[in-house]
Amino acid sequence: MNPGIDLQGTFIESVRGFGIPPGAARALWLPLPMLIMLVAATVSVLVLVWLERKISAAAQQRIGPEFIGPLGILAPLADGLKLVFKEDTTPSKADGLLFTLGPAIVVIPVFLSYLIVPFGQNLIVADVGMGVFLWIALSSIVPIGLLMSGYASNNKYSLLGGLRAAAQSISYELPLALSVLAIVMMSNSLSTVDIVQQQSGYGILGWNIWRQPVGFLIFWIAALAECERIPFDLPEAEEELVAGYQTEYSGMKFALFYLGSYVNLTLSALLFAVLYLGGWEFPVSVSTIANLIGVSENTPWLQVSLATLGITMTLLKAYFLVFIAILMRWTVPRVRIDQLLDLGWKFLLPVSLVNLLLTAGLKLAFPIAFGG
Amino acid sequence: MNLAEGVQIVSLGVLAVMMLGSALGVVLLKNIVYSAFLLGGVFISIAGLYLLLNADFVAFAQVLIYVGAVNVLILFAIMLVNKREDFKVVPRMWIRQVATALVCFGIFALLGTMVVTTPWAISTETAVGDSSIVRIGLHFFSDFLLPFELASILLLMALVGAIVLARREFLPETELEAGETESLTLPERPRDLITTGRGDSTIQ
Amino acid sequence: MLKFLKQVGDYTKEAFQAGKYIGQGLSVTFDHMRRRPITVQYPYEKLILSERFRGRIHFEFDKCISCEVCVRVCPINLPVVDWEFNKESKKKQLKHYSIDFGVCIFCGNCVEYCPTNCLSMTEEYELSTYDRHELNYDSVALGRLPYKVTNDPMVTPLREFAYLPKGVTDPHDLPAGSRRSGLRPEEILDKEPKA
Repeated sequence: MNPGIDLQGTFIESVRGFGIPPGAARALWLPLPMLIMLVAATVSVLVLVWLERKISAAAQQRIGPEFIGPLGILAPLADGLKLVFKEDTTPSKADGLLFTLGPAIVVIPVFLSYLIVPFGQNLIVADVGMGVFLWIALSSIVPIGLLMSGYASNNKYSLLGGLRAAAQSISYELPLALSVLAIVMMSNSLSTVDIVQQQSGYGILGWNIWRQPVGFLIFWIAALAECERIPFDLPEAEEELVAGYQTEYSGMKFALFYLGSYVNLTLSALLFAVLYLGGWEFPVSVSTIANLIGVSENTPWLQVSLATLGITMTLLKAYFLVFIAILMRWTVPRVRIDQLLDLGWKFLLPVSLVNLLLTAGLKLAFPIAFGG
Repeated sequence: MNLAEGVQIVSLGVLAVMMLGSALGVVLLKNIVYSAFLLGGVFISIAGLYLLLNADFVAFAQVLIYVGAVNVLILFAIMLVNKREDFKVVPRMWIRQVATALVCFGIFALLGTMVVTTPWAISTETAVGDSSIVRIGLHFFSDFLLPFELASILLLMALVGAIVLARREFLPETELEAGETESLTLPERPRDLITTGRGDSTIQ
Repeated sequence: MLKFLKQVGDYTKEAFQAGKYIGQGLSVTFDHMRRRPITVQYPYEKLILSERFRGRIHFEFDKCISCEVCVRVCPINLPVVDWEFNKESKKKQLKHYSIDFGVCIFCGNCVEYCPTNCLSMTEEYELSTYDRHELNYDSVALGRLPYKVTNDPMVTPLREFAYLPKGVTDPHDLPAGSRRSGLRPEEILDKEPKA
């Protein structure tokens, strides 16, 4: 496999060229990828909000935002500005401390999970060995924040919304983790980079989606439920609970919830791309083509173009999934709370267990195809 | 001392303070909801300590299970009940409090002396890091197989028990007797299980 | 055992069916995405209303014979007809006439039954005011004719879907003189054998 470009090494080398000790050079490097990822995640939310509004409009034969910037591309920015300047109210008899802490606890784990999203061989903030497990663990913190804000709002709708969110999150965590576990079993590693590596080499045919036809469906349903996207948006069902745990929030605190939900959707889409759609891999194996033309994999221009291609491919795949999620929003009606729990516990959980068992069996039977 | 060590020591201090502070809060605060939230803080700080010890898997498992499941369930139970009730003033409360404090300090002192007097053998082996999960798996299926399976049976029992408690299919329909108050009876009535989607087959 | 297997089979079939239905729904939504937006950019574009549009009612003072048929056919007896008997001409003389469009439901019964055709429907529908009493139109206000959409230089008039040429769905930038599919009402009249 090609090693990809080593940005960190290059950066440290060049900084050391200015006569800075290696430890300090490393310390200078450390915050850079995190900052880039933070900004990229926030910008991706803006893009996502715009896409959501445009695609929703198209699905309903409307135009959508049009006058704020070309094609209304600045509409999400205007939304954000409005939220920034809005008065930040706290309802009377609300628990001020928890009320403020809630949105932060919801948002921080989601942003932290971006640590493990790879855009290329070395284009990842931290190649944690426990990659996917870290994501699952972090996403399990979110319901605490939701419960906190639901409780602190001193509002029955908020409390019910928070409770529903927590129940939903717990029920769908299991099928999600089990479907991820099937992937992990095939790639013998929890690291996201290794999972993509294991899918590479055969172009589109090597992607996990062919080996996990049930798993990817379970993952996507569970991911939608974790993000509280429309067929599963019970915690904020407008008709029943006003806006669930967000009812009493306004201004920047509401913006945090809003940001958190969209960042979470992007994150789920990115991880779906990584787990099932071969991450940064091009549908045709690029290294094979490079060998065919006779270009060495270590040529600088090839490396740079491969990295660019990798980022583009990851984003394209992720946004394709986001598109499906938005389309889903205008297709499927919201499920009832009992249907939601039925689907989670009585359908997805057994099916994902069977899927895991099948994967284990196939892995033993065909070690070549299923990563022995 | 290089940068990494400094960061480690500082984060150890921060985590320890966080853990002790929130643990004290869990015990001492009057508001039970605060206690439950602070318990989450304790769990998270412990996970941080595990991370400092290079035990990633244990740390993340701690977050997933204790914060994501146990603490959420505790909060869930508290919020579903959500009864704000003032406790009755018990006469000579201070005796109980002092007694509790004494017992607690006794246990603390006992544990403290145990920790100090035990000659801890500090292993010089480097931590396994990322491959720890492989080691844990190997141990689970070799020398720790029995405890592992026993734990799973314990969990299965808990699961079955929960299901038995949750689906009470039969409730004795007894009339209230003269002296009996309503609060002693179960508020639910037995209901027919509603079958959805399969109703048409029974109609025919 | 067989019963259990059948149950499992049925369940799987149902699950697949549910998946199929969701797929069908998705394809419908997806198909909608390539359709033309029906949006009319309102203050800048307006629809040319159909002939039978029931807008604000126009009233011609001089034609009215104060018969009060409009009041009688009105579901809520809305029109206010203020007349006085003129002893010289032995006719009712109309003094005031008013309709409150804040209450009117635009059913068009008055227009239908008016014996002298002094009531008629206009194309005006922009009836917003800051005070609902401003909607109470007297005979002078009722006599005003609305401005035609096609003559307004500020507005791009758009044809409604039924008035577009055959196969065209976009009302923007139609070639001049393009006509709708089918015959126009006057052509139908021309075709009728003259009585």
